[in-house]
Amino acid sequence: MVIHYKCPNCGSDMAFDAESGKLSCRSCGREDNIEEFSDEFIETVFEEDEAKEYECNNCGAVIVTDADTTATTCSFCGAAVVLADRVSGILAPSLVIPFTISKQEAEEAFRKWCRKGLLTPRGFMSADRIKKITGLYVPFWLYDLKNEAEVQAIGTKVRRYTRGDYIYTVTKYYDIYRDLRIDFSRVPADASEKMDDELMDKLEPYHYNELKDFKTPYLAGYIAEKYNYDAQELLPRVKEKLSKPIDDFIRSTIRGYHSVQYKEKHIRTTKTRSLYTLLPVWMVYYDYNQSEYIFAMNGQTGKVVGKPPLSKGKIAAWFGGIAAGSFMIMKIISFILTGGVF
Amino acid sequence: MTLFKRTVAFFILFFFMAINITFADVQRVYDEAGLLTEEEVANLEQQAAAYFEKWDTDFIIVTTESTEGKGIRQYLQDFSDKLWKEFNREEDNMAIITVDIGDRWVDLAGFGRAEKRIDNKRADHIRQELTPYLSDENYYEAFQVFMEMADEYMRTFPGVNPNSIFFNTLFQLAVSLGLAGIIVFFMAYHSGGKVTVTSTTYLDRNQSRVIRKRDRYLRKSVTRMKKPSSNSRGGGGGGGFRGGGGGVTRAGRSHSGSRGRF
Repeated sequence: MVIHYKCPNCGSDMAFDAESGKLSCRSCGREDNIEEFSDEFIETVFEEDEAKEYECNNCGAVIVTDADTTATTCSFCGAAVVLADRVSGILAPSLVIPFTISKQEAEEAFRKWCRKGLLTPRGFMSADRIKKITGLYVPFWLYDLKNEAEVQAIGTKVRRYTRGDYIYTVTKYYDIYRDLRIDFSRVPADASEKMDDELMDKLEPYHYNELKDFKTPYLAGYIAEKYNYDAQELLPRVKEKLSKPIDDFIRSTIRGYHSVQYKEKHIRTTKTRSLYTLLPVWMVYYDYNQSEYIFAMNGQTGKVVGKPPLSKGKIAAWFGGIAAGSFMIMKIISFILTGGVF
Repeated sequence: MTLFKRTVAFFILFFFMAINITFADVQRVYDEAGLLTEEEVANLEQQAAAYFEKWDTDFIIVTTESTEGKGIRQYLQDFSDKLWKEFNREEDNMAIITVDIGDRWVDLAGFGRAEKRIDNKRADHIRQELTPYLSDENYYEAFQVFMEMADEYMRTFPGVNPNSIFFNTLFQLAVSLGLAGIIVFFMAYHSGGKVTVTSTTYLDRNQSRVIRKRDRYLRKSVTRMKKPSSNSRGGGGGGGFRGGGGGVTRAGRSHSGSRGRF
C-alpha cells in the first residue's frame, strides 16, 4: 500500500513544504492544511511481512526501498510516496516535528557553518561540493520517566577562626537524608540502527512546542525510517543519559555543605510513557579530497553536527600562534616585573 | 645651522656627563676594618660606580672593628646620614651594608628607591645568602653577593621573587606549548558540534521535588594549627636573631633593613 498525494486542482504530486508547514503542490501552488487532512490510511493494519514490494501509483514502476524506509520518492517519476503499512499499527508514530528548514535554507545554513570552521581546510570552507542533501525523519522514542531517589550522605561544614597564635578548624559532620522525586519528560533517544547515537544526541534539543500529532502527509517528499529498537530496548540508554541530570538534581537539594560524601544512592526509574516520534534531520553528504563526509542538521533549529576534515596547516598555525602569543605575553610580564631578566 | 648647533651642544653635554662619571666620583667602599685587599676595594668601587650609573643609587660597603658602643643599627644610620650630607644627591637612594667585625654583626639597609626595591623581606634574603661567606671570612665574596643581589632586586618589581619558576624561560615555553595544545585540542574536539543539552533541559519541574529530607548533626572535630609567622615587617632572620626590619635615622630618613650575627 502506497500513499500518494495528488493535487485536487491539477493532479500533480504534492509534497510537504517546510516553510509554510503545509502540503503544497509545486505546479499550481495549492496548499492544504495537514491537521485537517483525513488519515484513513493510518487505521489500516497490515501484517508486517505482507508487502515486500511497492508499486508507484503514478508511473507503475517498482519502488525499491530499504526494509526500514517508510517514506521516499519514486526513483522513476520522482513522486513523493509514503509506505502506508510501515507507518501503521504498532509502527504508527504518535508525534512528529515537521521540517521548518527547507532544503535551500539547509544548504545555506550548512555553507555558513562551514565558513565558521576555524580548523577546516580552505577548500572545505567554500562548501561547494555538497553531493546530496536529504531530508530525513529519524525515529525517536520520547520518554517520560519517573525517578524515585533515596539518598544518604555525610556532609561537612567547616569553620576557621584564629585565637592567639593558633588557627582552629572546626569540622561539623551531618547525616543527610533525601527522599526525592525526579521526573523527566520527553527525553529523546534515537531508535534507528543506522544513525550514530552520539551524532543524534548532539542534534538536541528540539523545541517541543512544534510537536504535532502524526499525519502521513508530513512525510511526503522526505525520506522516513521506522524504528529498529522498541521503547523497552532503548530504556537502558536513556537511563544512562539521565544519570548526570539525576546526580545534579540530587546535589542541588543538598546545599550549604563544604563537602558531601554519598553513602547510599538508591534510584528507581519507571517509564511512565514512551512516544514514538519522528524528528526532522537534514543529512548532508559532502565530498572532499576523495572521501565522503556526513553531517547532520537539526531540521527544526539548524544546528549542524558531524566531524569536518581538519587542516594540519591550520592546526599548526593556531598551535604556533597561541604558543607564540602566550610566550610573548609571559615574557613581557617578566620584563615588566623583573626589569629585563630573560 | 640649527642642526649643527644642536649636535655641538649634544657633544658638549655628553663630554661633561662623561667627566662627571669618571672624575666627580665618590668613595663608596669604606673598609675601616681592613678586611679587603686594595685590589678588591678597587673592584668593588668600580662595581658600585657602575650600579650608580644604572640605578642612580649608591651601593655602600662599610666595615668597622667597633661600633663605638652604638650598636650596629645606629652605627649604620649615622654613617649613612654622614654620607647623605656629603654626597648631597638630588634623590636620596642608597643601599648600604655594614659589617662589625668586632661583635660579628652585619646590617643592611635601603634608602629611597632602594627602600622600596630592597624591602625588609628582600634585605633578609640577601643577608641570609651572604652570612655564610662572612662566617667563613670570605668578605670579598660576601660583598659581591650583596652587590649582585641588590642589583637584581633593584630591577625587580616590589613583591616579585625574581627566582620564581614563572620567570624561567623553559617553564614559560612549556606553559605556552601546553596551553596551545589544550586550546587547539578543544577546538578540534568541538569542531563536530557540541552537546547543548543541560541537566535541566528535560527535567519536569512540576513533578520533581523533595518529598522528605533530614539533616542531622552528628559530631564535630577541632584541629589546631600554629599560625605561620607573617613576614610583612622584618621577620625571621637567621642566627637566632630577628632581622629588625626598617627604621628611621636621626636625620629623619626612613629605610628598610635586616641585621644579624655571623
